[in-house]
Amino acid sequence: MEDYHKPDQQTVQALRNIANRLRINSIKATTAVGNGHPTSCCSVAEIMSVLFFHTMKYRPDDHKNPNNDRFILSKGHAAPVLYSVWVEIGFLKESELMSMCQVDSTLEGHPTPKQQFVDVATGSLGQGLGVACGMAYTAKYFDKSSYHVYCLLGDGEMSEGAVWEAMAFASYYQLDNLLAILDINRLGQSDPAPLQHHVEKYQRRCEAFGWHAIIVDGHSVEELCKAMSQPRHQPTAIIAKTIKGKGIPVAEDKMGWHGKVLSKDMAESVMRDIQSRILNSNKRMYPASPIEDAPPVSLRNVRMPSAPNYKPGEKIATCKAYGMAVAKLGRYNERVVAMDVDTKNFTCSEIFKNEHPNRFIECYSAEQNMVSVATGCAARERNIVFASGLATFFTRAYDQLRMAAISDSNINLCGSHCGLSDGEDGPAHMGLEDMAIFRAIPTATIFYPSDAVSTEKAVELAANTKGVCYVRTTRPETAIIYNSNEDFHVGQAKVVCQSKEDQVTVIGAGMTLHEALAAAEQLKKERIHIRVIDPFTIKPLDAKTIIDHVRSTRGRVITVEDHYYEGGLGEAVCSAIVNEPGFTFQRLAVAHVPRSGKMSDLFKIYGIDRDSIAQLVRKMLSSSANAK
Amino acid sequence: MSYHKPDEKTLQALKDIANKLRIHSIKETCASNSGHPTSCCSAAELMSVLFFHTMRYKANDPRNPSNDRFILSKGHAAPILYAAWAEAGFIKESELLNLRKIDSDLEGHPTPKLAFVDVATGSLGQGLGAACGMAYTGKYFDKASYRVYCMMGDGECSEGSVWEAMAFASYYKLDNLVAILDVNRLGQSEAAPLQHNMDTYKERCKAFGFNTYVVDGHDVEELCKALWHAEQTKGKPTAIVAKTFKGKGLKGIEDQDNWHGKPMPKDRAEELINDLLSQIQSPNKPLHPQLPNEDVALADLTPIRLLTAPEYKIGDKMSTRKAYGVALKKMGDASPRVVAMDGDTKNSTFSDIFKKAHPDRFIECFIAEQNMVSVAIGCATRDRTVSFASAFAAFFARAYDHIRMAAISQSNVNLVGSHCGVSIGEDGPSQMALEDLAMFRAIPTCTVFYPSDGVSTERAVELAANTKGICFIRTSRPDTAVIYDAGEKFEVGKAKVVRQSDKDQVTIIGAGVTLHEALAAHDQLAKEGVNIRVIDPFTIKPLDASTIVASARATGGKVITVEDHYKDGGLGEAVLSALGEEPGIVVHRLAVSCVPRSGKPQELLDMFGISAKSIVAAVRRTFAN
Repeated sequence: MEDYHKPDQQTVQALRNIANRLRINSIKATTAVGNGHPTSCCSVAEIMSVLFFHTMKYRPDDHKNPNNDRFILSKGHAAPVLYSVWVEIGFLKESELMSMCQVDSTLEGHPTPKQQFVDVATGSLGQGLGVACGMAYTAKYFDKSSYHVYCLLGDGEMSEGAVWEAMAFASYYQLDNLLAILDINRLGQSDPAPLQHHVEKYQRRCEAFGWHAIIVDGHSVEELCKAMSQPRHQPTAIIAKTIKGKGIPVAEDKMGWHGKVLSKDMAESVMRDIQSRILNSNKRMYPASPIEDAPPVSLRNVRMPSAPNYKPGEKIATCKAYGMAVAKLGRYNERVVAMDVDTKNFTCSEIFKNEHPNRFIECYSAEQNMVSVATGCAARERNIVFASGLATFFTRAYDQLRMAAISDSNINLCGSHCGLSDGEDGPAHMGLEDMAIFRAIPTATIFYPSDAVSTEKAVELAANTKGVCYVRTTRPETAIIYNSNEDFHVGQAKVVCQSKEDQVTVIGAGMTLHEALAAAEQLKKERIHIRVIDPFTIKPLDAKTIIDHVRSTRGRVITVEDHYYEGGLGEAVCSAIVNEPGFTFQRLAVAHVPRSGKMSDLFKIYGIDRDSIAQLVRKMLSSSANAK
Repeated sequence: MSYHKPDEKTLQALKDIANKLRIHSIKETCASNSGHPTSCCSAAELMSVLFFHTMRYKANDPRNPSNDRFILSKGHAAPILYAAWAEAGFIKESELLNLRKIDSDLEGHPTPKLAFVDVATGSLGQGLGAACGMAYTGKYFDKASYRVYCMMGDGECSEGSVWEAMAFASYYKLDNLVAILDVNRLGQSEAAPLQHNMDTYKERCKAFGFNTYVVDGHDVEELCKALWHAEQTKGKPTAIVAKTFKGKGLKGIEDQDNWHGKPMPKDRAEELINDLLSQIQSPNKPLHPQLPNEDVALADLTPIRLLTAPEYKIGDKMSTRKAYGVALKKMGDASPRVVAMDGDTKNSTFSDIFKKAHPDRFIECFIAEQNMVSVAIGCATRDRTVSFASAFAAFFARAYDHIRMAAISQSNVNLVGSHCGVSIGEDGPSQMALEDLAMFRAIPTCTVFYPSDGVSTERAVELAANTKGICFIRTSRPDTAVIYDAGEKFEVGKAKVVRQSDKDQVTIIGAGVTLHEALAAHDQLAKEGVNIRVIDPFTIKPLDASTIVASARATGGKVITVEDHYKDGGLGEAVLSALGEEPGIVVHRLAVSCVPRSGKPQELLDMFGISAKSIVAAVRRTFAN
């Protein structure tokens, strides 16, 4: 061990005192509001004290300073101890802490970015380390700065596979600026965690995943200081053996106390007891200031310098257009970064990689971790992130996406190979529920471009749109239908084909827009004219354009989508036009689990091809004729 | 017992079969002009030894419950699985050439349209969890001698769900489980992160509690030996970490980049096949798999009925999550086939009531929701059990890919999500399920139950146990009053009209806590002389369109939906979809429209506009228009 200077006794005592004050405040607050997890706070009191008042370098008055060390409380249910730290620092008032979880407080049951000192929301277990990986990767490879990233995990969440995805990622990319602290307090919510207090098993697992792992007594301030001061040449895990409920005699290491608050009387006696262990020490602890070496970054107003370079009629897959667009955007802003899950040759993000190899992160087959890494890279507005994979595999990361919305994260995701158009690979690879799940993300914008021009515009818009942006792309080649100078906006549909004689409005997107255009050609021969609308964004949906045009086709409207019936384009349109009098609405979508086959056959079988559209148009017209 | 090396003839026959499997794989993928022959070739010896030396099964009866189980977790190697069953005689060799065709069941990735496939694969990293469920069932429920083999790729070892399954298998000492890792070095778009670092794989498997062997995956004798040792090992699952080469046996292609998912070029296929043929010494020596011990009884498929009616009285107060626990325990009383599992939330979902009564049929899966769903699917294969897996509804988002695959697998698992919506209160948005209805509605085989009191919860559990496909039951945290008589009958797709009169002016559709808010609104409005009709849909999918349409018509076409869920994909949109083309109906939807926050349940219901107060206001607005 090189050059380790043990902290002096005064410092050690001051850190112990802080730990005990954190305990007192965690107990006081949870008892005051009758909610929370005081025992999960007590096990980490010394860890939090040492981290925030000895190890981490940050400006306590400037939470978003890019040079600050980052901290993520992956075990989000220990929120009260995090809030207590900020009371100790003086940023929060004790009175604010005593009204946490209330409807008018910004201190929620689990941390959310409503608080400046929280970068990402936690509370769904096992997600913090992946985000920390994204931050550490950014520090090391993009910012090339000296800030470190600290992540505090519980032992229960070590059962989540996402943790091991992150572990593998961190060692693969040699994130020596990342420190994970494992709070091994033995007890989960309803049972002991599977490895109980076998800290050596945790150590072995961490080491096998390429980490330096140090076992410490998590209640020993000295041991923690020492372990955290060690020089790091690889990601480091501090495996802290702790006691759940430490300091609360009746609850220490006992089952049945998870998420339980102390009664007022019990709390008072426990707090008195803990208070008596706080020894006089005049030493005030201040965090060390960070080294100011993070470069300034601006993510505002990132624009493509030139219009798309495609010619009408040219054929190109939207997935390819995506890769080209992100690569182009990357040419003009060095903070545009991309990542993928070993599908870059399918999603075409390899076009970006080839052009900007230093800004591409291969995340391998670990979709949950990729979304977490993306969220981490985007935190504190350090990067504009584009993460791609097959559309259907974002289902793997849906919990991470749900949390990204709660985190107010600005990440951009691209799902390729949507729908039946994936063909022979079969249903396992077909994204047929992706629109449903992204629509149910409150902060999401869903782009579903239908040609290369609109794909390029979608990428540009996504880079500048807050919240979670999702771009749905398709594998087969489709014709360019827009002029290079066509203007696109979020929430603005395009009328692709119209005439005065239009009798039905058909709304399609991606492949089905092209099927609708083919149906229009077919019907024209029968002197039936249809209006075709490209919604461009499914969320928000351009209700006004749709309603106006449906009115002018006598209320007749058909949606056709390469997606299941539930939650997709059809239901989005349904929601938009509800309560419009006199509308006749029919939907074409995939109704069952599909199968392998040629795309054209599948489109026929599941009834979303040009013939099905034409037939439904005829049927709609004949039944309205009959009604007269 | 000590290991006896198979005789030379057998070894040669296994080598020959491996090459035959390679040839079939090339032919199949050439015929379909798509597929993954190189990923098949790396696994040829592994498949040969498994199917013709190690595994015990009836080749003409692939679903026999006594058979050893096999899961091809690396589903893209489907052609070699089909080839193995052709060599075993279950499918015709000529059928292989129909791979991936629209009228063939030999799909791009395996699905249970084929009798020898228990679970669909093709979304990587899911096979081992299902294998864990099968092995757990074999060891602890069936107490039978069948063993479970799972073939994985190296690429998918990056998926966290693999390590969830690894931890599970060792924790439960599944010594009847063998994981075979085909470490062929190359992924789809580049080399897998650990390349050929066999030691790292070994250390990881050992650290996760596996008895681990590193072998040359192209040496049939080494494989025979390692698999024999696996069978002798007690108290631990075994991992066979096989060093292989992608495209093994294909000259100029073996171990080369850029051959993932590419069939052999037409002009080279013949030469490659001839080369493989030349290595086959006795083309006609058939090997037959060993037969299984027939120590498993056929599943009793008679419907499982509650032995007694629900024991609740109208007005009793209880949460539906608690009613779930009580109901599940009663179903456990009714049939030994009912099993349950949870993700360390059993004291919140109340599955611990089942655990207390039937400890031998409860599996604690710890905080690993993906693996829990996979285990539930594995337990339910071949109808060995009726499985119920519970957790906070929000955390099924974690397992949505697994649930999606369960539909493709034609699985009959039952999933129960508690703590839905803002009504959980102070814990805040990370714990609130507000997208679960959208998720489960978009699963084609899914039935979505959303019971509103203890009686209907108990009936939902009973119906779910007997309903094919995936069943999801959404339960709530707050205590609510029992509103149904214990004798009330419930059916899938049949709504209940909870309040009605001849003078109803609006139809309100709510479920769970919002049904109770609607009832409160009903009482409040009644005092003002305004009558509203209140409907409990009971199942959100399928939704009882005819009851809803009839009620809507009876109330002048005015409908209000109110749900503790986001606006997209939930009850409101389900109702809109059901009303479809009905003319003259006006629907107003009350739902949560942005990321919510912490607070007291009732405050949050008010703040997000789904409380009785909001309903009353919406009813009044309806008349204002």
